[in-house]
This record gives sequence, structure tokens and C-alpha cells, in this order.
Amino acid sequence: MTQGNPMRRVVITGMGAISPLGVGAEALWQGLREGRSAIGPLQHPDADRLRVKIAAQVPASFDPTADIDERTLIMLDRTSEFALHAAREAIAQSRLDFSQNGLGVRTAVVVGTGVGGETTQDEQSRRLYAENSNRAHPLTIVRVMTNASASQISIAYGLRGPTFAVASACASANHAIIQAAQMIRYGMADAAITGATEACLTYGALRSWEAMRVLADDTCRPFSANRRGLVLGEGAAIFVLELLEHAQARGATILAEVAGFGMTADATDIVMPSAEGSSAAMSQALADAGLAPQDVDYINAHGTGTQANDTTETKAIRLAFGEHADRLAVSSTKSMHGHALGASGALELVAVIGAMRDGVVPPTANLDKVDPACDLDYVPNVARPMPVRAALSNSFAFGGLNAVLAIKHAP
Amino acid sequence: MTDTTQQELFDIIAKQAKIDVAIIKPESTLKDLGIASLEAIELIFDIEEHFDITFPDQQGANFDSDTVQSLIDAVQKALDEKAAK
Repeated sequence: MTQGNPMRRVVITGMGAISPLGVGAEALWQGLREGRSAIGPLQHPDADRLRVKIAAQVPASFDPTADIDERTLIMLDRTSEFALHAAREAIAQSRLDFSQNGLGVRTAVVVGTGVGGETTQDEQSRRLYAENSNRAHPLTIVRVMTNASASQISIAYGLRGPTFAVASACASANHAIIQAAQMIRYGMADAAITGATEACLTYGALRSWEAMRVLADDTCRPFSANRRGLVLGEGAAIFVLELLEHAQARGATILAEVAGFGMTADATDIVMPSAEGSSAAMSQALADAGLAPQDVDYINAHGTGTQANDTTETKAIRLAFGEHADRLAVSSTKSMHGHALGASGALELVAVIGAMRDGVVPPTANLDKVDPACDLDYVPNVARPMPVRAALSNSFAFGGLNAVLAIKHAP
Repeated sequence: MTDTTQQELFDIIAKQAKIDVAIIKPESTLKDLGIASLEAIELIFDIEEHFDITFPDQQGANFDSDTVQSLIDAVQKALDEKAAK
């Protein structure tokens, strides 16, 4: 991948999150470094009818009315509630004032989501088809549309730069963050609000996932021989990206640098991953960031806990890193926050930033049985204190889509 | 399993794999019959719909190595459970 203007480096100056581990990026990070899993019994009005019994859900203590006014709230699907709340936290942390020096015009908003306003869609379908109502709610369209989260953030903060949604199933977050970083590199923006959101634990979506037969019935056990599939999650994480010089000039606290990225497609199968495709994305990210394999200390793996992903990802890491693969710490935090689909990569970037900041790699929880086909150091069950100079964050999607971020310690 | 039930099952497999029903043997694996991962999930769905049964989740953990015989057994088990209700 060609590097943009190499003089225009991109840093992260704010992060916010809503996750099954609680409200706020710190709640998420503290949970992960403690190895705490938020996977529990599925709380759902139709739980009795469903075969899926477990999920990683945002706790009921999340109260969107706490910081979103009523007039805005009626416009929002749960997806956008998560995104707007997380954006508020990220922007507050960055201390950016978009009304000053025309910054609002120079700020982009790119928010990933796998499916968008699924809760609204499900509710309205129930109304029309199950209850035979002849009327859909008048705000259905503005709640459902995939770009709703990006647009609501733009409106809330007067952000007038390029604003849109990115959808690539479970790689949506990383693809979105890459788009945002690219725009700063190429001079289209000086700041960007980016990340991803997902709230898809509806009856219809849960039934559809059941039919695919990839859901675990016990818990999420990435890279463990007794793994039985993925566990669905939900949540959002939003970041403030900023041009390095812009952040330095105002004395901002820099959390980390988005140093490079790689994107590829397998072009093989709609669901079965390919090690060649994902390793190529990792190699691109390294090259783009100017990193040699031995510069990387940690990989936050895609690590879904399915048979196919975990062995293929292991092979891919070996292909991309060669001998250095054995010296990498690799962990899947999905074992704790679940698989938030389009939002996963965003929750995982919080984990990477936390690991760099605190010098602690979060573990892979529930890894209790070694799989000979998964032979890397997955930091089983207990966090590991170690310096992290640079890290990769992997996201791979159904459809054979791979997006990898290379993150460096704050300069 | 009755011959009719087995015949119905074989017909579903033949239709999904687009093969002659005569080449399906109990010992064939789905992979042998050219049924790859996603088609296997679809096959399971077709079987569930046809017999109005639900396979337990982990039934499909490793479709490729599943044999036709294991499907026959699974259908029989699910039909027995249904009859017992």
C-alpha cells in the first residue's frame, strides 16, 4: 500500500466506549486487563424460544438519557445511542473544540457498522407482519439508515467534513478507522471521529445466527481445542484521530499512533477464511507503518473462537511474521467482550491502546485446552505485564474481507 | 429408520449436491459428495424444514467430515424425540 503524505502522521487523542464490560473505555479496558468475561445468560424477551442461550450484552445500567437529550433520542436506534455516547466520551477526552479555527469543517466522521439499525428494523417488521399494523413508525428510516450514527455525531458537534458509514461485516470498524486515517494523511481533514457500533441482538438476527451454526453454547474459547464457536456481543467504540502536528501544537495527550494499515480480500469463499488473504493484510500493515516483524510485540487477534478462524489466523500470523511469530503475544479479547460484529475492531483498539499505555497485554480468557493447530503464545487467561512498542489489530469478515491496523506507542 | 424416511433424506441430499441419488451411500462424507461448508449448513436447514425437526447446535460443528450415516442417525434421533413429546 502506498503511504499517504509521510509527513502527515495520524494519532489518537480520544477514545470512548460502551461495551458488555460497562460504560466507558476505562470500564472496558479494566475488565479486559483483569481477564473478566462479560459473557452471560442471554437477556431477551424471546429468550425462552431461542436456542442461543448466551451473549455478551451491554449492561442494563447503560442509560442513554443520561447524556443525550430527548429530542435527539427519539431519532436514535440503539446502534446510534451507543455511537453517540461513545463519541461524547472520546471528544471530551480529546478536549477538541470544533467551533474554533474552522476545525469543524476540517473534521471527518466515519463510523462502521455491520448492519445498522437492526433493533428498529426488527421492531417495525414485528409491527407490520406479526401485529398486522398498517403503519410503521415515522422515524423508522432515520433510525435504520446505516449512516445514522455518523450523521448524528456530525450534527451533535457541527462536523462538516466527509461523513459516511463503512460496512464490511465484522471488519467494519477497522475499515472505517482506516478511511478516517487516510483522509487525515491525504490532507482532506485534520481530525476525524471514527470507530464502529453494533446492536444486533434482535430476535431475527439471533435466529439467523442460530441457523448458521457457528454459535458456542458454553462460552467463547478462542484458540482452545474445546472451542465451540463465537459468542455474539454488542457495543461501540469511537476515537478521535488527529494530525500529529495538530495534536502537538495544542499540547494534547496522545494515546497512540495509527501508523499503518492493510486491507485485502480473500476472493475465495463467502465464509471460509484464507490464511493468504489475512496474512497479506498484516504484511501490508507492517510495510505501511514502516515496521519490521520484530518491532511488533502484540497482536490483538480476530480470534472468534470458531474452528475455522482460529487455525487459519494462526497460519496467517506465521506467514506474515515468520520466526518472530513465536515471540509475539497474541490474544483474543472476544473471549471477554464477545463478538460485537462490526464494532469488534473498535472495542479491540481500546484493548490495544490500553495495552500500550499500561504495558499490560490482555489475556485470551477460557483458553484451557491446547490445540496443536493453534501453536502461538495466546497469553492464556491472565494478563501479562510487558512493554508494547507496536501492535497489530486484526479484523476479518464474512465475505473474505481483511482489515488490519498497525498501532505504535505515542511518539 | 424407515426406508421412506431414508429415501426422503437421500433425495434432499441429492438435490442439494446436484448429484444422482444412486451414488449416495451411508458411508459417504458430505465432502465426498461435494457439499462444502455453507452448502452443508443449507442442507441441514432443508432437512430440518422437511422433517420439522431441530438438530442440536453442535451437530454441525464439523460438517465436512460428517457421513450420510451420521445424518441418518441424527434425523432418526430427532424424529424419535419429536414422537416422544
